[in-house]
Amino acid sequence: MDSSQKLQADQLQVYRSGKEVLSGISFSVGSGEVYALLGGNGAGKSTTLLSFLGFLPPAGGSVSVNDVEVGTDLEAAREAIAYLPESASLYEHLNAYENLRYFLQLARITEDSAAIEAALDRVSLNPESRTRNLKEYSKGMRQKVAIALAILRDTDILLLDEPTSGLDPSAIDEFHHLVRDLADAGKTILMVTHDVYGACQVADRIGLLRGGKLVGEFAAPEGGRIETETVHRAFSERESGNEQVA
Amino acid sequence: MSAALRVAKDEWRYWLRSKLALAVVGLFVLILLAVSLLNAVRMHEESHQRAHHQTDSEQTFLSQPDRHPHRMVHYGHYVFRAPMPLALFDPGLDSVTGQTMFLEGHRQNSATFSATSGSADLGGLSWLTPAMIFQIFAPLLIIVLGHSAVVREREARTLATLLAQGVSGRALLVGKLLALLLFVALLLLPLIVSAAFSLGRGESLSTASFMVGVYFVYLAVWVGLTLLASALLQQRSSVIASLAAAWLVLTLVLPAVAVNVSSQIAPLAGKIETELTMLTEVRDVGDGHDVDDSVYNNVEASLLEEYGVDRIEDLEINIRGVLAQNAEADLTDTLNVYAERRMNAEAHQAALLGWHGWLTPTLAVADASRALAGTDLAHYHRFLRQAEDLRIGFVQSLNRVHAEELSYIDDINRNRDEESWERARVAATNWQLDEFQFQPASTSTRIANAGSSVSMLLTWLAALIALLLWNGGRLKP
Amino acid sequence: MSRWASFENELRFLLRDRAFVIWIWVVLGFSSFAVWTGLAEVRQQRESIAFLLEADQKDRTSELSKQGDWGSAAYYAFHLTYDPPSDFAFAAMGQRDAASWKHRLRMLALEGQIYEHDPGNPELALIGRFDFAFVVAFVLPLVLAFLLHDLQASERSAGRFNLLIASTGRGRSLWRRRAVLRSGGVLIATIVPLLIAGGVSGTRVATLASATALVVAYVVFWTFICLWFARSKRSAPVILASLIGVWVLLSTVLPAGGRAITDRLVPIPTGAEILMTQREAVNDAWDLPVEDTMAPFVQRHPEWTGYVYSGDGFDWGWYYAFQQVGDQTVEELSSAYTAGRTERDRLAGWISIIAPPALLERLLQQLAGTDMQSVLAYEAQVRAFHAELRTFHYPGLFGGEPFDPAMLSALPQYLPTK
Repeated sequence: MDSSQKLQADQLQVYRSGKEVLSGISFSVGSGEVYALLGGNGAGKSTTLLSFLGFLPPAGGSVSVNDVEVGTDLEAAREAIAYLPESASLYEHLNAYENLRYFLQLARITEDSAAIEAALDRVSLNPESRTRNLKEYSKGMRQKVAIALAILRDTDILLLDEPTSGLDPSAIDEFHHLVRDLADAGKTILMVTHDVYGACQVADRIGLLRGGKLVGEFAAPEGGRIETETVHRAFSERESGNEQVA
Repeated sequence: MSAALRVAKDEWRYWLRSKLALAVVGLFVLILLAVSLLNAVRMHEESHQRAHHQTDSEQTFLSQPDRHPHRMVHYGHYVFRAPMPLALFDPGLDSVTGQTMFLEGHRQNSATFSATSGSADLGGLSWLTPAMIFQIFAPLLIIVLGHSAVVREREARTLATLLAQGVSGRALLVGKLLALLLFVALLLLPLIVSAAFSLGRGESLSTASFMVGVYFVYLAVWVGLTLLASALLQQRSSVIASLAAAWLVLTLVLPAVAVNVSSQIAPLAGKIETELTMLTEVRDVGDGHDVDDSVYNNVEASLLEEYGVDRIEDLEINIRGVLAQNAEADLTDTLNVYAERRMNAEAHQAALLGWHGWLTPTLAVADASRALAGTDLAHYHRFLRQAEDLRIGFVQSLNRVHAEELSYIDDINRNRDEESWERARVAATNWQLDEFQFQPASTSTRIANAGSSVSMLLTWLAALIALLLWNGGRLKP
Repeated sequence: MSRWASFENELRFLLRDRAFVIWIWVVLGFSSFAVWTGLAEVRQQRESIAFLLEADQKDRTSELSKQGDWGSAAYYAFHLTYDPPSDFAFAAMGQRDAASWKHRLRMLALEGQIYEHDPGNPELALIGRFDFAFVVAFVLPLVLAFLLHDLQASERSAGRFNLLIASTGRGRSLWRRRAVLRSGGVLIATIVPLLIAGGVSGTRVATLASATALVVAYVVFWTFICLWFARSKRSAPVILASLIGVWVLLSTVLPAGGRAITDRLVPIPTGAEILMTQREAVNDAWDLPVEDTMAPFVQRHPEWTGYVYSGDGFDWGWYYAFQQVGDQTVEELSSAYTAGRTERDRLAGWISIIAPPALLERLLQQLAGTDMQSVLAYEAQVRAFHAELRTFHYPGLFGGEPFDPAMLSALPQYLPTK
């Protein structure tokens, strides 16, 4: 096995409530790489992420984190991963600092005020807002806090579930820059999205997921980005093909 | 209005498809049936037993042989209180008050042997009655079924759709209210059956229907509370948590707290304590057994004057019987003063407790229910008073026999020898006794007694409906 | 990071939870109110006993001073018997609200006196008192259900569930920490007022320690039940409704069923039977030949075989003999009544094992000396004292010992053993 691969799915097969959701997908993500799983609703994107976290044990094949099968050491896998759930929910009755401190301590990380401040700066959360309860935040602001948490976890691997859904265009742009920065700093990033444009802008590789199968993979050329037009065409074809099947 | 009806219909469809709702209602009906059955069996046995004891006791008294009349005064008699027809549904105080009383001369005994005194002790809530199930557990059913009425639509965003389609907030709430009230009406069916059954056992139609009405108002109060919480709060989970907390406080905590408050504010002196205070007073009245007691010199003088004789031996009547009558009358006056004082103190304490009905409708409905069923404090006191009437009646009639049928000479010589002992007797035909039949208060009195509690319940209901209508006008998705 | 730091983190988090903080204050309020009014009630009962002791003494002295023979002295002298509240009664009033704990007896037939009831207001007795035992047995489980039922469901519905688990590695320790802190908070708010009241009332440390252990065990029991339900993936309202269902089952349905079964399995003679039989025996004796009374009396008390009936219509010795024979005729019924109550209580003890609220209430009442056993023990004391009275008077009544008022100072005194 290639030891530079931080996340690896090998013929991964997963059932949820008796239904096959992933039917043998294989891919891997290495250090400093952004991998985007692109797919429509019900393609199995979130399921893939939850498998890496060990919430859904594979029925066939394997998932490994840092070359260790997730099932053999759940805690090690979770410790190595920072996870940003879809429409990340934190505690509404706490402010940004309190939320961060609470979750960091859950992950047994000693909080460091300077680091927290720096992380919030990095996600450019308005300083005046930081002491206000999350109840008063917009969706974008909440997302920023959640990303700050992922950064502060200081793990090598980040799993992002639909990180840009519901954000306004400028926030999306800001977010993509941040993801690129993190990858350039050596982080392994696996994100799932249905946003073709966003995926092309940020990912080094894109996997096209449909009906639990990986039906195509696109890689960025050296020093360049994946061409949106190509992916978009493939995505629409596949999707409309999907519709015909259905 | 048709919008409201549509909403109500939809609510029912939702319940009928909810497994939880059906399971909870099924469980409730099961428990209610079991408790009603147990209670009915117990009541039947008790009323049978008491009627049996009552006839037994009367026959024993009447079949006593010839003897000295004062002996019969001490022989005494028992009364048993038969359960009221509606006690089948709400036994009320019957389980904690004694239902047996021994009546004798010179004393007012307390009612002894309550049902609780010999029963197994399995905690404060183990004495289940059908009434208690309606008072305490039916509200839970309404909460489980009704808590989601509005908030469910809010969480699923259908509330916005409904309001946007022009269904007014008020119509929506009225619809939900109708659905829940229909449910309450169904819930009351077992009570209606009990009430109908009580008609056959001599209960009046107005009391029985008032009983059903009172519980309808009470459960409607819970419907109001449930809907209000559902309309005001944003999340289903917070609605059910707040309602469950309200239920805990209103049905379990506040009534018991009210007990502590009432007993602290208006403490009740125990019977022994009162008796000791009374004893000194009774001693001033004098002892009816003792002819030489100075208190009776006046009686003697006036009797001699009335009959125009010089010696008490020459009187046409037996002065000892007359003295016994006077002494019993005087003693009874004193005893009654204390008994009334005691009953007033109890009634005062109970009124203080009843006042807490403004704080919790559960206390109000319990009070009203007992008043209507005739199992309240007022009826317990009625039992005590009627028993006392019977007591003083038979004691004085025996004293009259003592004065008129037994010669003074035979009387004072009764301890001389065996023969005198035999002579100092009167015929057994003199033993007379009114049959004891507990007379409950009239229908109108019982309804009047329930009045203040009912007005509390109606105030609760009116306030909640006003709040609901006000909230309906400003219902937000 | 240490275990303690995790708890500290969780505690800080919990203190920001308004619902939790409010419930803690409410429980503290409930517990404080319960023990405070309990203490006041105990004080009232002690004052009442003190008053009665004095008035009783005065009344007896004044009555005895007028008497010139043994018979009248026994007839007119009443004696107070009582069961003083224990140093822990404030926490669990138990049977003291239902059964008599004070009597004024004289040397007449005991069976006619011992069931005399000196009840409080029945209206209050019906509802029951808000004492510490009630708060713990019935209110506390519901509060725990409110605080613990949505431990996981609320995180699920808010979409934080996966994030929380992913952050902690494994969820179990997190739920355990949260549950321990919540239940712990409730426990402290319950126990602290009890311990303070225990200090005020001078309760024995062993009693307080046992009570605390009971409450801790009970809270742990309900915490486990709540956690078991909270693990479910169903929504918070469904979980809460199920927990309330469990509460209804354990605190009312099972005990009510148990009571019905116990009362049916162990029949006891009705009180009316005892009273009427006894009364008839005493009353009929007036018309029976003296020997009919004296024979069973002497059989019980062979030492008074030498007693001779004076032959007049009335004789004190004969009178007290038929009082005692009256008691003897119902001995069987009376001991069946006592045995029946003992047996019912024993069975109820077994049944309460499946109904923890009833079990806890019973155990606290046992600690407080307010359970059925204590009632029966008091009745036994009353019987023993009444027997003492007879032993004291019988030489005068049956042995011909001349009446000497000075001897009355040696009258038996009732002393509660507690």
